[in-house]
Amino acid sequence: MSQAPRRRAVNPKEDCEQIPLYPVSSRSQNTSLPQTNVDYSRSSYDALALKKDSEEARKPYWKKKETLWSWTTGGLLVALAAIVRFWGIGFPDGVVFDEVHFGKFASYYILREYYFDVHPPLSKMLLGLAGYLSGFDGLFDFENIGDKYVDPAAGLNVPFKGMRSMPAVFGSLTVGVVYWIMRESGYPVAISAFSAGLILFDNLHVVETRLILLDGALILFMSLSLLSYIKFHQLRYRPFSTAWWAWLSSTGFFLACTLGCKMVGLLTFCTIGTAVVWDLWGLLDIKRSHPLTMEHFSKHFLARTICLIVVPFGVYLSFFWLHFKILNRTGTGDTFMSAAFQETLMGNELLMNSQELRYLDTITIRHKETNMFLHSHVDRYPLRYDDGRISSQGQQVTGYPFNDTNNNWQIIPTHDIPDSGRGRICRHKDIIQLYHPMTDSYLLTHDVASPLTTTNQEFTTWPKADINSRYNDTLFEVVLVEGFEGEPWKTKSGWFQLVHVPTSVKMWTGLGTLPDWGYKQQEINGNKAHQERSSTWFADEIISDESLVANRTGEKEVKKVVPMNFFKKFFELQVLMLQHNAGLTADHPYASQPIDWPFDLSGISFWTDNVDNQQVYAIGNLLGWWICVLGLSVFVGIVGADALARRRGIQPIEDHLRNRLYNNTGFFLVSWMFHYFPFYMMSRQLFIHHYLPAHLSSALVAGSILNFILTETINYPVSVAGTTTRLRPRLRAVITKRAAVVLGILSLAVVGMFGFLSPFTYGSTGLTPTQSGYEQKTSFNLDPSL
Amino acid sequence: MASKPSPFFPPPPPPPNRIHEADARLLQPRSRDHYDSPSAYLKPSSSSLAGAKFGSQIKRKEWFLVASVVALSLVVRLWNIWEPSSVVFDEVHFGGFASKYIRHTFFMDVHPPLAKLLITFAAWLGGYQGGVDDFKDIAKEYDASVPYVMMRLLPGLLGVSLVPLTYLTLRSLSCTTTTSLLGSSLVLFDNALVAQSRLILLDSPLIFFTATTIFSYCRFSNEDAHAPFQRSWWRWLLSTGLNLGFVASCKWVGLFTIATVGFSTVIQLWTLLGDIKVKPRMWARHFVARLAGLVMVPILVYMFTFRVHFWLLHSSGEGDGFMSSEFQHTLRGHGMADTFAEVAYGSTVSIRHYNTQGGYLHSHPHNYPSGSQQQQITLYPHKDDNNDWLIVNTTHSVQEGPIKYVKDGDQVKLLHKGTEKRLHSHDVRPPISEVDFQQEVSGYGFEGFEGDANDIFIFELSHSPNKSARKQLRTLRSHFRLRHMLTGCYLFSHKVKLPEWGFEQQEVTCNKNPSLDNSLWYIETNENPLLPSGADRVNYERPGFLSKFLELQAVMWRTNAGLTDRHAYDSRPTSWPFMRRGINFWVKDHRQIYLIGNPFVWWGSTFAVLTYMAFRGLLILRAKRGFRDLHHPLIVRYDSTLAFLLGGWFLHYFPFYLMQRQLFLHHYLPALWFSILLLCVLFDMATSKIRPKSRLAIALVIVIITLVGFRRYSPLSYGSPWTKTKCETGKWRKSWDFSCADFHDSLSDYDITTSKPLTSPLFPEPIESQSTTAGSLNVKIEPGPNVFDPKVDANPAVAADAQGQQILEKGRDEGVPVHGGADDLATGSPDDEDPSPTLVPTVIQERQAEALAREEEKKRREEKLEASIGLKAAEEPLIPFKDLEGEEKVEAEQLVAEALENDQKEEEEAVAEAEAEAAEIEAAV
Repeated sequence: MSQAPRRRAVNPKEDCEQIPLYPVSSRSQNTSLPQTNVDYSRSSYDALALKKDSEEARKPYWKKKETLWSWTTGGLLVALAAIVRFWGIGFPDGVVFDEVHFGKFASYYILREYYFDVHPPLSKMLLGLAGYLSGFDGLFDFENIGDKYVDPAAGLNVPFKGMRSMPAVFGSLTVGVVYWIMRESGYPVAISAFSAGLILFDNLHVVETRLILLDGALILFMSLSLLSYIKFHQLRYRPFSTAWWAWLSSTGFFLACTLGCKMVGLLTFCTIGTAVVWDLWGLLDIKRSHPLTMEHFSKHFLARTICLIVVPFGVYLSFFWLHFKILNRTGTGDTFMSAAFQETLMGNELLMNSQELRYLDTITIRHKETNMFLHSHVDRYPLRYDDGRISSQGQQVTGYPFNDTNNNWQIIPTHDIPDSGRGRICRHKDIIQLYHPMTDSYLLTHDVASPLTTTNQEFTTWPKADINSRYNDTLFEVVLVEGFEGEPWKTKSGWFQLVHVPTSVKMWTGLGTLPDWGYKQQEINGNKAHQERSSTWFADEIISDESLVANRTGEKEVKKVVPMNFFKKFFELQVLMLQHNAGLTADHPYASQPIDWPFDLSGISFWTDNVDNQQVYAIGNLLGWWICVLGLSVFVGIVGADALARRRGIQPIEDHLRNRLYNNTGFFLVSWMFHYFPFYMMSRQLFIHHYLPAHLSSALVAGSILNFILTETINYPVSVAGTTTRLRPRLRAVITKRAAVVLGILSLAVVGMFGFLSPFTYGSTGLTPTQSGYEQKTSFNLDPSL
Repeated sequence: MASKPSPFFPPPPPPPNRIHEADARLLQPRSRDHYDSPSAYLKPSSSSLAGAKFGSQIKRKEWFLVASVVALSLVVRLWNIWEPSSVVFDEVHFGGFASKYIRHTFFMDVHPPLAKLLITFAAWLGGYQGGVDDFKDIAKEYDASVPYVMMRLLPGLLGVSLVPLTYLTLRSLSCTTTTSLLGSSLVLFDNALVAQSRLILLDSPLIFFTATTIFSYCRFSNEDAHAPFQRSWWRWLLSTGLNLGFVASCKWVGLFTIATVGFSTVIQLWTLLGDIKVKPRMWARHFVARLAGLVMVPILVYMFTFRVHFWLLHSSGEGDGFMSSEFQHTLRGHGMADTFAEVAYGSTVSIRHYNTQGGYLHSHPHNYPSGSQQQQITLYPHKDDNNDWLIVNTTHSVQEGPIKYVKDGDQVKLLHKGTEKRLHSHDVRPPISEVDFQQEVSGYGFEGFEGDANDIFIFELSHSPNKSARKQLRTLRSHFRLRHMLTGCYLFSHKVKLPEWGFEQQEVTCNKNPSLDNSLWYIETNENPLLPSGADRVNYERPGFLSKFLELQAVMWRTNAGLTDRHAYDSRPTSWPFMRRGINFWVKDHRQIYLIGNPFVWWGSTFAVLTYMAFRGLLILRAKRGFRDLHHPLIVRYDSTLAFLLGGWFLHYFPFYLMQRQLFLHHYLPALWFSILLLCVLFDMATSKIRPKSRLAIALVIVIITLVGFRRYSPLSYGSPWTKTKCETGKWRKSWDFSCADFHDSLSDYDITTSKPLTSPLFPEPIESQSTTAGSLNVKIEPGPNVFDPKVDANPAVAADAQGQQILEKGRDEGVPVHGGADDLATGSPDDEDPSPTLVPTVIQERQAEALAREEEKKRREEKLEASIGLKAAEEPLIPFKDLEGEEKVEAEQLVAEALENDQKEEEEAVAEAEAEAAEIEAAV
């Protein structure tokens, strides 16, 4: 900190605290006010700044030196960012890392084929758009990492550069937005440029935004949300003005866009939400010098609710609406969806082949999750299992993956059915028996522990000859999933659970494989858990009807797509996304733990070429990241020390500085915390690129802390004065020579580190074996085959 | 003047001078420092002279009250404590642990030892000798040699003590006698607390120590507000610290109690810091005293319990497999002869995996069914000739000339002695972990074949703990990675089992991107004919107490976090406060023990918590709009106490949301205690303005309602007879899944059980004990000896492998009860069998003999049981608490008079204070 003499706080409360000592009708009347009633002479450079400032103030907007400077710098930064991101964008000319997924999804949009993914659609639609604009026909599989995009021999020419430029443009803009955020927060040009530079020259940001990935759009929208909110907050003394509304709703819009890219957008919602609650809490305070009436307060409240909840929700919905509109053909995602959903897709198998089932039809039954056929054969369960338990020695009922006549089952009615007509149709909640023609027996379950899963019931069959003795145990209820009264049971689309009538267990199969006596087929048993979702089966095919010869295929009619309510579709997909997101727990060699992220300990190998020893390895700019971590910890330290000191009646930081530190840097810190800590609670696979939004926030913190340390000054006020606001003297932050030198050295070091790591970022430089020494220097887990 | 504030949190500022509304808006807010100055409330005010100290003093007459409450709770908690005379729920584990303590065999459990030690102490007092199978299964009838009543008495007595403790705690929170009585009755008549404290479980000690901690802390805070650094101040500080140590040594849930006290202490210190009059030196004294009392003392207590734990468990036992080899080496029954320290070419070594307890690098003449179909390489946990590897140089020439030691970076081949194959890896995916970055490791080669370059591995010693072992390969001291020369992958193993064809041994692969720990190995035994017999020998380093302690903590943590399997009766925290579902503890003979709370107590306390939160939230909002509710004397008096209790409840409840492990209803019990206290303080606040008599009347009504609830569900808590109809009407929520079908139609049926003995199986198979339609299958289940038919195998060692593995499997199956009692799981480890392969056949024989013995014993028990049922038939039908209501009434009537007196005084004090308060405000204006 500099040794500038301490002086009494200029303003006691907040930035631009308004104390209506006397009404002020317009700004012009009071331009001379600041100079007259506050004495700044004790701080020499402040006075200088003030003088300069008053000169500046008289100039027209576009001629102001600082403004000019600011815009030029911003423009340069974006241009530089674009150069860094577009440089060698055509390399590697093969599929890199998650382009496998997202490139494929983009091609589905072009082909209009339905797919399923855990991420919301916006970012992928944009990628699809990029592909469409650059003339991609969608006919490329993105099968494996390393597959070549361009292959003249096979006539392959995927316009991957065009697709990659979309994220690259987003990435470049992000740098500009970061710069803008810092400027709007009242930091000088050099500091703002430093924060932006931390993003510009960050290897991980560069890698992630020059490939066909989702993060470019996500980070851009996330930073735009922060910017919009800051702009909105600047206008807080002019509530309900046009600009106020505009920035408020743009905050909401960009929030929705962020969420539309990835679920992580929820964290951005939390960040803005916390700030809004904080703000509202302040508005509610009656001790403020301009207390709001409750009526006025509820207006504020409503405005925020509408713009930050209702509008974003609408925007978010619109993405899905578009998503469903575009993807109207059958595709790889069909099987994830419910039957009703699938029937909305052109060419879907359910739509084409779904038929109503009638009594006495012979069918095959498959398990929905594992696709096993319900199967039985003449072999019996062994009398005694290895663990000493005893079985019923009944005929085995197993899950079998292949087509076989032993998979055939006939639906036997338990009530009288008419000779013909709709009465013969088997419906939801009908009680049936399943007859196994090959062994002349009926499916049965009883209270005997199943071979592998002792808590579940054994499934077996009972010979037809002796059926009367065990008749009740062969009764099963067909319960269609989400079925309604009288709904006919259909093949393919009619997902059902088979509930045993006497014991109300459900037919279920897990992954247990029977030992040799069961030919390694899958165990089928009766599950007592009522909420078990995996006990869903479907009738696959009608083998024959009553006559046991004829097939009813002749009755098949051409079917039309069945429309489904958009909201139903939306909620179904939403729930599935959340479930599958949580289910992504498989191991991945480059998955990492959140604790490693801020320290940039390990990256991800995106792409390797063993022939030329080239590698794209996603890792952050070590120095940049450590500066960010340092910034965070220094901030926490300063706040802690300040709290302690003030507790003992000492005021170490001037009020306007402290307010900025708390309200602005604090906001960035909250943003960092919300974008970082929730990952600790996620048990899914995590990767270092999940840290990018948090890293952006930490770069903002680092910039403002650097400003605090180096200059101890800020641009003030940054808020737009309202009609009744008492005007304050304008302060401009001053970068001293010493500060400029420190900044310059730091920036050079960051750029230097970027250069050092760039062979991994661009991948185009062949690494010599000595360069594998990177590994020792950086402790990265590079692909060891290099 | 101040009313009587509770000292946990700084009270809100005293009402500032009343100022004209319009002026008030222009005023700058006053600095918080001024508000927080404790001088306003630290000085005992003139009007509270009668009380003299903070927290009400307990008068002599009150001790009679306390004594009668104790007497009553003795009856309620210990009534028929010898019933049921068979193992209930987690007694399987905790009884078993006591037996292991007495036999001194090492076991691993996820809970710290104190509560188990106490139970063991009780068992030891009862003369228990410790039998292997005494606590084998739920519903197993106790042998005469098991002093289970004595063991149950310990939790029982601690449960009894909880009742007066509740009373005293409420009194030290400045509550009236009536309120305190109400609190102790609610605790007394809660079914869940009763059921939990009658069995050999850890929760009763846990809750008891939680209560002692909070009680001590309340007393300490009272002293602190009055006059710090007095003798009694130190005494209560120390007592808080000791009890914190105890509670954390019972279960790790005790950490929440530490958090509660810690949080409150931090606020105390923060308040103190804001008082400019307190000099930094003084503040430091406060800080250091608390640091010593509330941090150091608990840590010492906690470590001391482990000291006792290790001291008692000095022999090897079921838990060995969880611990590192060094640790195992300290246990009697394990041990290894010293082995050569320096490893040279030509040494025969056994190589152990560092991170998992999978064992030794192993091979046997069986091939992979997939991939290259070459010979399997696995990890095998027991000592065996097939673990022996010969270190040879890359040219595979016989070592001649001077002995050559293995150094860091040396390229070697490892020759499997038993099968003459070399350790080999190549670009083929392994059988289980079929991912890009993993390679298969196999045994490859045949006689006369010199091997190829894929056999070459490089020793990397740089991760060894001590320096000298980083340069040269040393037995036990060097931790090394083996890098495959051609592909750069590292020899790797992880907790993934091969299927049957691999005898369920652990998979070994070569991993291009391994985690460090899983790719580290060390050499355990080392033989070399070239080394002189006098060469340096080494053995495992004996770990000291501290390293043993830390290792055990880590293992406990891992195991605890790994308890994520679902259990039939587990539940998530959201369901606890509303008591959505209980736990089935025990079912037998048409009786049931089902952990379920008294609905009135549970729902009432939850309601109190929610009310307070809503109420406080509203007040905060109103304060923001300029209302001065928070300065109301009544609220000033109660708010900080309520906030403290809410904090306690929250900290004992909310952290469970963050846990992924299986959770049960009984985890809510400590939080329940806090919410009961909160309910009582709310009651105190609500009734503070009414006459003591009416207050007592209201309290009485509440107690009677509670009693009704308690009686209703007491058959489930005591495991006493009940009827189907009563059970059905008692199912107030559909989600309460005690099975009514198990009960008889009428109580009189319990007389004639002899005539139709045991329609439900005596020793229920897991599936049948829960199902309501047991016994539809007519096959008799007889536990026969388990005859292994190992795969016919040319190599005896491999056959031994297979057998060993099957035994392991079996051991595991027996270690874990299939249903019930899985909460506090501690399982027999897979590695606890006798490691020597030559002994395996004998193990089988022993097993067979054991099984026979078991069968005989079972017959004997059946006979015994039939006899005992015959006896029981002669007795009167047992209806719990037939007379208790009357008894309670008598008790209550006795208490009424005394309570009235006390309350009258209290009341007068409070009124006087409130009046004085008002007067002061008036004066200020």
